[in-house]
Amino acid sequence: MSHIILEARDIRYRYPRGPEAIHGISFHVRRGEKVALVGPNGAGKSTLLLMFNGMIRPDLGTILIDNEPIRYDRESLRTVRKRIGFVMQNPDRQIIAPTVYQDVAFGPTNLGLSEQEVKGAVEKSLRLVGLSGFERRPPHQLSGGEKKRVAIAGILAMDPDVLVFDEPTSGLDPSGSEDIMELLDELNQQGKTIIISTHDIELAYPWAERAILLLNGKILQEDVPDIAFGDQDLVRKARLSMPTLLELYLELERRGFHLPGRKPRTVLDMINIMDRAFRNKPCYTEPGTISLVDVDSPNGVDLSVWRSSNPGVPIGGMGTRAKQYAADRMIPLDFTYGVIDKCILKALLGEDSLIIITGSMVQRVHERVDEFCRENQVCIRVSNLSKDGNR
Amino acid sequence: MYDELLEDIAQENGLREVNTYTKLAAGLGGILLCLLSTSFAAPLFIAVALSLALLTIARIDAKTYLKIFVGPAIFALFSVIVIILISGGGEIFWRWQPLPWLSLSITRVSINEGLFVFSRFLGGMSSLVFIALTTPMTDLFAVMRRARFPAEVLDLAMIIYRTIFLIMSHLVLVYRAQVMRLGYRSIRESVHSYATLCGAVFIASWESGEDLVRAMEARCYDGKFAALGEGGPVRLRPALAVFSFLVISAGIVVATRHISFM
Repeated sequence: MSHIILEARDIRYRYPRGPEAIHGISFHVRRGEKVALVGPNGAGKSTLLLMFNGMIRPDLGTILIDNEPIRYDRESLRTVRKRIGFVMQNPDRQIIAPTVYQDVAFGPTNLGLSEQEVKGAVEKSLRLVGLSGFERRPPHQLSGGEKKRVAIAGILAMDPDVLVFDEPTSGLDPSGSEDIMELLDELNQQGKTIIISTHDIELAYPWAERAILLLNGKILQEDVPDIAFGDQDLVRKARLSMPTLLELYLELERRGFHLPGRKPRTVLDMINIMDRAFRNKPCYTEPGTISLVDVDSPNGVDLSVWRSSNPGVPIGGMGTRAKQYAADRMIPLDFTYGVIDKCILKALLGEDSLIIITGSMVQRVHERVDEFCRENQVCIRVSNLSKDGNR
Repeated sequence: MYDELLEDIAQENGLREVNTYTKLAAGLGGILLCLLSTSFAAPLFIAVALSLALLTIARIDAKTYLKIFVGPAIFALFSVIVIILISGGGEIFWRWQPLPWLSLSITRVSINEGLFVFSRFLGGMSSLVFIALTTPMTDLFAVMRRARFPAEVLDLAMIIYRTIFLIMSHLVLVYRAQVMRLGYRSIRESVHSYATLCGAVFIASWESGEDLVRAMEARCYDGKFAALGEGGPVRLRPALAVFSFLVISAGIVVATRHISFM
């Protein structure tokens, strides 16, 4: 198990002239984890997050980074803020410069990087969030989702180890929210540790590896999401509602259906559980193939040829650059979020599918499909067209 | 209150990617030549040439362009009328003395003078609008940095630029909320609503100042503000076009130096 990168030890904090906002919270986050802090408004989520990069100093208790307590002198805080990037809820409050380039360059410039290094960092982070070409645009002309991406790029340009997001999807439409969550997955896949705060339990449930339920400045429950969100009383107490899939699963169980396997986190999990419970096998036909087109691979694949020889095959996009690639070539995407699961669902129906994918996510597809196949004794073929040639 | 801002037009005009210095040369050169010209012809030529460039190459909407001109044009017209009526000399076409110490007249010299001032207004205004509509502030910041403006002034200007739009959007929100609840129904109510609007915007700008400090702190602010990378390089065609425009205008300035309207 990887080592602890961030730890809170018995944190207490009271706002000036206000009630105590945080009442003795202790928890830790391991390197590479995806953690969701979930709780109603006023639970203390944002206050807690602001402590991670030293923006708020706890009255009592310690925040540790790599087992070293945070020191609050100017120089130490700079190091902390370089390592722990904080993306605010409202991007308008985070974006300070008159153009996208200047805003993303703000952090690296102040870290003392040379002009060339700053330029490189800005280009890299804008590419990561899919905003290449936006350098000279002023922020007030961007949409909510684009502003959010600029804010994220501004933090990524400082190359932090941990990314802390306060309500990453607030104010975004469902598709924008899915894009941001997918971006968080992509960043996690590249080795970043990610902590989010949210009250959107449906969003946190399939995404997080660990969920921390907060209420009135205290931790109510801390566990894997299906356990953290699986207790009806606790969830109600935290003024939240149980994820629909989990509720459906528990209701079926209460009605005497014996459901095998772990609790479902995605539609695929649920379908699989039901198939196995009621039909005793996950797949009735020869499973379809999932083809991958890696946009970062030097072996280009002519997608127009592929599409004309495979008409009607659904196409998913994984990763910001892959979606950009599809948009540039006017390829309509059928799936943009939860793509692997949706392709597995197609494969189980005997249908083929294609994923246009960013290089760093290829491994993730193989892992997820292999894991599914192992658990369910089926064999779904994943073929990387960029590697195997255009077949 | 909901009108498109000049800055927004500038960000999307057809000459956006042309090198900033090239555009500034056309605009500033135009203003300078208008000032140097002693005849109405060169300023008129500059006004026509730059307006055509704005309407056709920069694809600025003609209605918007006219609207920009209307306000200053009313002022200019008043001034021109006063000049025509008050200044004298040469053949007198019309004369009226309403008061013993006030005499109004229209003369050959005064008409020439009025037309000259008005053409200068047209030329100067088109040159200025040319800069405003083709070169966004963000590009001008880069030029100012290059021109070694004090960093403190420039950083402050950039922050103000960014904040203006935030405060503007807040202002529009509050104003709409007031209109929706009939806040401007009577004069009395309008005064009250306007005062509340000012108060709300003041508080919002105060808060956004605090947010700004926090946002800068969170990103390791150390007194540095990144400069915007250079815009497009100087390209031959636009540079040549601007050069020929300036040469032709200068030629007209010289050739028409003794020519007047009447």
